Amino acid sequence: MTFNTGAALLDAIVLAVVSQTPDGTYGYKITQEVRQVIELSESTLYPVLRRLQKDECLEVYDMECAGRNRRYYKVTSRGWAQLKLYESEWRQYAEKITGLFEGRMQFSADADERKDSTECRER
Amino acid sequence: MGRDEFMKQLERLLQNLPSAEREAALQYYNDYFDDAGAENEKEVIEALGNPARVAENIKRDLNGTAEGDRAKGGSRALVEYGKDVPEGGGEGGQGTAEKKSGSTLPTWAIVLLVVLLVLASPVLLAIGASALAMLIGIVVTWAALIFAFGVTALALLAAFGVLAVVGIWCIAADPLIGAGVIGCGLICGGVGLLFFLLTTAMGGMATPAIWKAVMGLFRKKTPAKAHKGV
Repeated sequence: MTFNTGAALLDAIVLAVVSQTPDGTYGYKITQEVRQVIELSESTLYPVLRRLQKDECLEVYDMECAGRNRRYYKVTSRGWAQLKLYESEWRQYAEKITGLFEGRMQFSADADERKDSTECRER
Repeated sequence: MGRDEFMKQLERLLQNLPSAEREAALQYYNDYFDDAGAENEKEVIEALGNPARVAENIKRDLNGTAEGDRAKGGSRALVEYGKDVPEGGGEGGQGTAEKKSGSTLPTWAIVLLVVLLVLASPVLLAIGASALAMLIGIVVTWAALIFAFGVTALALLAAFGVLAVVGIWCIAADPLIGAGVIGCGLICGGVGLLFFLLTTAMGGMATPAIWKAVMGLFRKKTPAKAHKGV
C-alpha cells in the first residue's frame, strides 16, 4: 500500500480486530486478520499487542486448548472506550481527506483573503 | 532452521530483557507456531524473518515506551489521555516511563526511594503550601488594587459633582471663590477619570489577558500535541 500505518492507526486496527470477538481471540488469528486489512510483517504484531496490554486496552488469559495453553487477548472496557475514540477520530480524518479530494473542502476565508490582498498591493 | 532452533535463538537474543517480558514474548511465538500448525512451520519462519529481527522489534518497542518515543507516544497519548483519563495524567508517557524504571530497579532502591519520599514529605508539603499561599496573595493583591482604584475613582468623581454644585452656588455670593471651587472640582473629576480608566484597563483588559496567558501555559501541553497527532 502507498500509505504508512502509524502507531496510533495500527493500535486502532488491532483493537478493532480483537473487538470482533468479544470473548477474546489469539495471536495467530489476530495476525492473519490484521494482514487481511493492511500489509504488515508478521513480527510487527506482538509488540503492538504487548503495548495495548500494558496500556490496559487489552487483557490476556490462558485457556486450555488441544492439550496446551493458548493465550487469548480480549478488549477491556478501557480498550472499548479507546476504540470508540479512534473510530470517531478516524471518521473526522477520513471525512476531511475525502472532502478535499472531492472538492467539498471549505477553506477558511480570512487567511486566504489577507494573503491575496497583500499580493495585490505588491503588484 | 526449524522451529526449535528459531525459539532457542530468540530466547538467547531476549536474554537481557526482564524475565516477564521474555516469557511473554516466547509464549506468544510458541503459541504462534502451534496455531499455525506443524505443516506451516516453514512458511511461518520465513514470514517472521530471522530471530534477530523479531527480537529487535520487541526491544525497540519496549525502549520506545520506556524512554517516551515522543512522536509515537505523543500521537497515541492524544487520543488515549485527551478524553478518557480516569487515573489522571500519571498514566501518560511519563507514567509508563516510571513504571518501566520501577520494574527494573532493585527492591532496595525502591524501598530507599519510598523512605526518602516519606522523610521529604514535610518539606515538600511546606513548599507546596507556600507556593499556594504566594499565588493566593498575588491574586488577592491584584483584586484589592483594582477595587481600591475603583473606589478612588468613584470618590473623586463624587467630589467633582459636589464641588461643582457648591461652586455654582458660591458664584452668586463671590464669583472668584465660586470659580476656584469649580476649578478644584474639575481637577478632582479629571484625576477621577484617570483612575476610572486605570480600573477598567486593569479589570477589563489586563486581567482577562493574564488569565488567558496563564491558561495557555497549561493548555500548551495537550493541544499542541493534538495538532501534531491529527
